[in-house]
Amino acid sequence: MSVIAPKFRFSEFLKSITDNLFWIIILVTLIGLPVIMIVLLFVDLPVYQGELINPFLAFSWMFHPELSLPLIKSFMITDFFRIAVFPGFGFAVLLATSVIFIERKMLAKLQLRVGPFYCGKIEGILQLMADGIKLVTKEIIIPAKADKPIFILSPLMFVGAAAAFVALIPVAPGWVVADIDLGLIAVFAVIGFFPIITVLASWSANSKYPFIGGIRALFQMVSFEIPLILSLLGVVILTGTLNLSEIVASQASFPWIIFLPVGAIVFFIAMLAELERIPFDLPEAESEIVAGWLTEFSGMMYGLVQLGSYIKLYAFAALFVVIFLGGWNGPMIFPPLEEELILEGKTIGPITIQTPGLPIFSMEFFSGVFWFILKTAAVIFFILLPRGVFPRVRIDLLLDLGWFKLIGLTFLNIFIALALLYAGVFGPGGML
Amino acid sequence: MSTEKDSEQQEAPAAEKKQVPAKLDEQLPKFEKDLADKVVAKFGEKTEVAFVKPDRIRINVKKDNIKEVAEFIRDDLGFDHAESVSGVDYPEDKEIEVVYHLGSYTDPQLSKQILTLATRAPREDDPKPGNDSTHLPSLREIFYSVEFHERECFEMLGVYFDGHPDNRRLLLPEDWADLPPLRKDFSIKGR
Amino acid sequence: MTTQLPPGLSLEKVDEKIMTLNVGPQHPGSGHMRLIIQVDGDYIVACDPDPGYVHRGEEKMAEYRNYILNIPHLERPIIHDSCNILYPYCLAVEEILGLEVPERAKYMRVIASELNRCVYIQYWLGIYGIFLGHSTMFMWPMGDRELLIDLLEKMTGARVTHSYFIPGGVRNDLPANFEDVCLRQVNYFEKRIKEYADIFYDNPILIHRTEKTGILSREDAIRLGTTGSVLRASGVDFDVRKKEPYDVYEELDVHSNVLKEGDSLARSKIPWLDMLESCNIIRQALEKMPKSGSIRKKLKPNPRGGDMSVYKRVESGRGSLGCYIVSKNKPEPYRLKLSVPSFRNLIALPYLLKGEKLGNMPAVYWSLNYWPVEADR
Repeated sequence: MSVIAPKFRFSEFLKSITDNLFWIIILVTLIGLPVIMIVLLFVDLPVYQGELINPFLAFSWMFHPELSLPLIKSFMITDFFRIAVFPGFGFAVLLATSVIFIERKMLAKLQLRVGPFYCGKIEGILQLMADGIKLVTKEIIIPAKADKPIFILSPLMFVGAAAAFVALIPVAPGWVVADIDLGLIAVFAVIGFFPIITVLASWSANSKYPFIGGIRALFQMVSFEIPLILSLLGVVILTGTLNLSEIVASQASFPWIIFLPVGAIVFFIAMLAELERIPFDLPEAESEIVAGWLTEFSGMMYGLVQLGSYIKLYAFAALFVVIFLGGWNGPMIFPPLEEELILEGKTIGPITIQTPGLPIFSMEFFSGVFWFILKTAAVIFFILLPRGVFPRVRIDLLLDLGWFKLIGLTFLNIFIALALLYAGVFGPGGML
Repeated sequence: MSTEKDSEQQEAPAAEKKQVPAKLDEQLPKFEKDLADKVVAKFGEKTEVAFVKPDRIRINVKKDNIKEVAEFIRDDLGFDHAESVSGVDYPEDKEIEVVYHLGSYTDPQLSKQILTLATRAPREDDPKPGNDSTHLPSLREIFYSVEFHERECFEMLGVYFDGHPDNRRLLLPEDWADLPPLRKDFSIKGR
Repeated sequence: MTTQLPPGLSLEKVDEKIMTLNVGPQHPGSGHMRLIIQVDGDYIVACDPDPGYVHRGEEKMAEYRNYILNIPHLERPIIHDSCNILYPYCLAVEEILGLEVPERAKYMRVIASELNRCVYIQYWLGIYGIFLGHSTMFMWPMGDRELLIDLLEKMTGARVTHSYFIPGGVRNDLPANFEDVCLRQVNYFEKRIKEYADIFYDNPILIHRTEKTGILSREDAIRLGTTGSVLRASGVDFDVRKKEPYDVYEELDVHSNVLKEGDSLARSKIPWLDMLESCNIIRQALEKMPKSGSIRKKLKPNPRGGDMSVYKRVESGRGSLGCYIVSKNKPEPYRLKLSVPSFRNLIALPYLLKGEKLGNMPAVYWSLNYWPVEADR
């Protein structure tokens, strides 16, 4: 007979439950509710049904399911929500962490091993959390002769630049943090920050290997930015706009990859180089220069750079989807919601939903996000795949590829775009 | 295999010198004996054929003659590289022996052969590596492949090789200040 | 410059164009040694290998232990190839003690040493893969290596440090039904390593990175006294198994792989071809091995050697491995010298790295089939 808890007593079990309840109630009333109240006092609250909501009203509505729905909806259209949660940082971090996990599992399957397996009951799903806790609790070591302010700031700047990149990506119709007319130029401006941050990080570390890695990163990123920018020119010529949302909207019937496959291939290769993924991971070539420009980072500083690079990976994959694969466009696979559910509520079997406006999102939104995530995942898969197949290239091949072959191909791509335009296939009064 | 029994019968120390059979009779393998005879014919008294076994020849040389003997072995006999250089310490003889094992890649006839060229340097009880009388001429100009082996021999036994371009430490730590460790008077703790 | 520095220490002259990199010993691309590399931009100006980080004084230790006690510690320099590093020692001690090895034990030695060669080369190949940034090529050999390690465990009782060869034979007999299991696993292993060509040796990026880098000409390979795969990749057909057959290699059909190019690609291909050849040899040995019989000659306790010196060499996973023993009527060897192939190939490294790009450093360095621990002894 096995004994699970040898000193188990029911009375003590009850006591522990009531104890916990007691402390939860005390803490919520003394700390939690005042904090919510204080936050509400400083947040701009929306106008609902013709009246300005004050914090006290919002506070009382919060615990009323019927009344809290419009509050949530109004919160969802605030800038804070867009920046921090849905199309912005939170969504990107969620996708980036799942990319890390999927990469480890996929690479493991490719290499005939199991990968993360024990942490968490299902296929090691908690491994990332364990790694995160490890990184957070590790000591941060700063080299004695490092330029401390810049050295400490550079991982933050890296994550910041990656998040700025994410802010420009339209995920679903109308769901974009910064919908600006010169969106593509803004993307290039943000990409231009990464080599500077890399060089700052490597130079401020005041160590030899980070220095070589930083110089390599500078070479690589600068020489691949030109084909990266030029390869998108074809799409700009055909659509006539720099706004990313409009570029997506222009692909309602067909994605640009059908007409501009050369540009897509060049963009993909340049993207791998910008991301320092495996065939082009020279700045982090471990057998030559330890970890390149990341050598002196430790603990959470390293974790931040890794997080930033995976957010950057997601952002580049999303940019590829937006420009070449048609973004959120795709067949509606979810049936649209019935009118009465939205307006009045509905009775489905035993469950009675009588709250009007319960669906927070429309089904068009769901479909758009679904297609966007599906396409992004496919692109990310192809970004991750070379890691299991290719060795690292050498810097002469890299520069040769960047300066001669890819730039040549981008000009070919531009000529294709111009030919399509002048032949009257696209453009004003075109066939399509 | 015939020399094995001879060696087991003899019990005197440093028998390798005495072991030289005055009767270099037909029992010895022919090819190896011819090679040894060529060296003896060229240098006569300066060299001493210690043994001739199947595939193995050993020639003892004085340290003044080692360079010309080595040159003859490379140019006329066709041995082109050194397999190993080992130093052996003989405190009772006050000498340190350095043994070159030479082989050949180019001559298919010689591919089985290992020619052992041995020479001896004087030994001092209080060694100051590089600054005492334990000197030998380096064979690096003749056999390039001895470079690292001679460096190892220098640090392990304190034999300084004249003419070696790079007489530095190789395996031992840079601040090693004890006796050269492969000398017999350097003893391991507890043994 | 008045103070006289002790030999081994030197002050470095600082040049403003040239940067000195200490690659190792705590470096993912160096192994247990230090390479002092001077780079001018991306080009290596000079390389000074500094082995000795894991020097353990095996040769000194051997002078204090008798011929049997020496076995377990002599295989420490390269535990992945432990049978082959004990092989020349056992051959030399057998000549000193006048022992004759039974026929069956000779074949068992061949099987064990060829299996061990494959185990070593798989490990080496995995590290070559990760040095070039190819992580799949790290994982595949490490996984396939387990097959042969299991076989060796069945045979010897230990996964890596076998201590299987003893003067006069081998330590224990084969388990029942070993031949069938061995044949099956070796056949599977051969099929598996042929797949490496698809992902590694035919990979265009790999070919671009390793072809025409670190070229060692035939003359230089001979002059520098390199051995094993480095020598055979430069077009010199020299395999000790074929040229100076020991034990029963005379009766087996050994084919030595030779390539003419002498670059890193050829040097990395030769061990891989050697593994295929080893599979052939194992199959032949399994066929020709006597099914029963004695496996070792009984030794007297504390045997005393004669007054003689012996040099024996075998072909290990890296090249010819020699053992020189001076015996002086004592149970212990008077002097034991291991002439290890890694140490002999090390001399080619500064020669090859001069003028190469820094990115070629791992590709050239590890293609020398070099094992730092073995070179240090």
